[in-house]
Amino acid sequence: MSTPARIARRFLFNVLAWAVVLVIAFPLLWMLLTSVKPSSELFVIPPRLLPGEITFEHYRRLLTETPFLTYLRNSAWLAAGTTLVVISIATLGAHSLVRFSYPGRERLARLVLFTYLLPSVVLIIPLYLLMAGLGLANTLTSLIIAYTTFALPYALWLLRSFMKAIPDDLESAALVDGANRMQAFVDVILPQALPGIISTAMFTAILAWNEYFYALVLVNNDAARPLTTGVINMLVTSFNIEWSLLMAASVMMSLPLIVVFAFLQRYLTRGFSAGAIKG
Amino acid sequence: MPTIRAASASLRLRSLDARYGLLGALLIAPTVLVFCTVIVYPLVSAIYLGLFSIYTPTMEGEWVGLDNYRRLLASGEFWRSLANNLIWTAGTLTLQIVFGILVALMLHRNLVFRALARSLVLFPYFLSTVVAVLVWRWLFNDLYGVLNHLLLWAGIVDLPVDWLGSMPNAMISLIFVGAWKYFPFVVIAVLARLQAIPDELYEAASIDGAGAWARFTDVTLPQLRDVLIVVVLLRTIWDFKEFDLIYLLTGGGPIIGTQTLPLMVYKEAFALNQMGGASATAVLMMLIMLLFMSLYLSRARD
Repeated sequence: MSTPARIARRFLFNVLAWAVVLVIAFPLLWMLLTSVKPSSELFVIPPRLLPGEITFEHYRRLLTETPFLTYLRNSAWLAAGTTLVVISIATLGAHSLVRFSYPGRERLARLVLFTYLLPSVVLIIPLYLLMAGLGLANTLTSLIIAYTTFALPYALWLLRSFMKAIPDDLESAALVDGANRMQAFVDVILPQALPGIISTAMFTAILAWNEYFYALVLVNNDAARPLTTGVINMLVTSFNIEWSLLMAASVMMSLPLIVVFAFLQRYLTRGFSAGAIKG
Repeated sequence: MPTIRAASASLRLRSLDARYGLLGALLIAPTVLVFCTVIVYPLVSAIYLGLFSIYTPTMEGEWVGLDNYRRLLASGEFWRSLANNLIWTAGTLTLQIVFGILVALMLHRNLVFRALARSLVLFPYFLSTVVAVLVWRWLFNDLYGVLNHLLLWAGIVDLPVDWLGSMPNAMISLIFVGAWKYFPFVVIAVLARLQAIPDELYEAASIDGAGAWARFTDVTLPQLRDVLIVVVLLRTIWDFKEFDLIYLLTGGGPIIGTQTLPLMVYKEAFALNQMGGASATAVLMMLIMLLFMSLYLSRARD
């Protein structure tokens, strides 16, 4: 193949590929652009791609005139609470599943995977009744408890795959040096598993941050509403749908995800499939 | 290379297994406790509730045995929701797989700013479904939506299209948005596998005179087979039980045109206040899913 022809083909491929990427990313780009356009420019026909003038008015209104900050605080608590509870339990559990042997261990590991696939609509009605019975209806606590139903199997399965990658010899060596198994866990396994634990924690936090269904059913007042149901509530209850305000809310909701996403690049394959796919 | 020290230690480990078994059980105990409370108990309870007729606000109910199931199997709405569920799952899954493989192949090649392109493509999967739906409802807006303007401007349509309020548009829109949101899962799995295919296989195929298409069908696809089976099973399960995207985008409408089984459960339990019937619907839905779940579980064993 002659060089100019090869360069032309490479150029063509790059143009085509980037066109595809931009089409995929367009909805997100449009969200960002809409959120900084003055309201008057929203209804110009035909729509203009770039804003004639950039304004942060919608963000200001979002933060001062809507319950957005309350929702944001609730979501932050939910993500932090769920992550803390789930990671503490799952780290111990995953260590047990990987490095101990006792009857029923394999069956338990399979049960974890099974529950990870379970539809939440099956669990929601009894959970709803349970929360009402415990007097936890409309509280963040009820959501943290409900979120463990999907976050715990997920974190366990992911942590299990991270911990399996730590060589057995490391623990054995510590035991030879006189440590007992709990000391070996704290001194050897935990430091080795730390990157895995941190990335599992971040994936778990994202699951909690993005959750909608349980929040829809279990929480019905603004005081405990997270961002997902809160922002939708802004859409449903408004007389005139204010798209720029909603797009600003969407951008704000997605910002923490961008930060976490950048950090998690290395673990994406593992995190997406929770160790279910072997490369 | 295992050292003698480590080898003797692992012998010691095995002899101490019995004693350590107790510690292992202790470490897993919190997990088992939480599982029993928030998963096993609700699961059993859902099956039990399905045998009652319960009015949600008062929680008064009576035993009806299998009547809920009989009524369900005789109702048109259940079968319609199941059919919708299958159409949605098959449609969006097909798009996700085809599009996912294509984009993965594209990102696997040498592309300028490949890392940025990869991030842009994968991000929709990370996004909250709420955000995805808000953005798409704005794009789909019949008066000021970009999509209609683009189509009008290009002369493809003469009148603005009602994307979400009429059939079959609503189902098609749903399938497309679902594909947009979830195809990155296929991309990331396929991309990881593509990077593990040895170059020699392609070189050997080239020497044998295989063109680009033949290399794809004879080398790439067979290598992707295993990962694709797992991806299809997982995505089938996840798409089948999808609630958020459908509920938020169309609410199951127009009428019940896009109502799938999870939406039917929600409607029965919290809009029609029939918790018993809703539980029965949920249990039936889970039974259907068990087929895919057991297929997946038996694959994950290897």
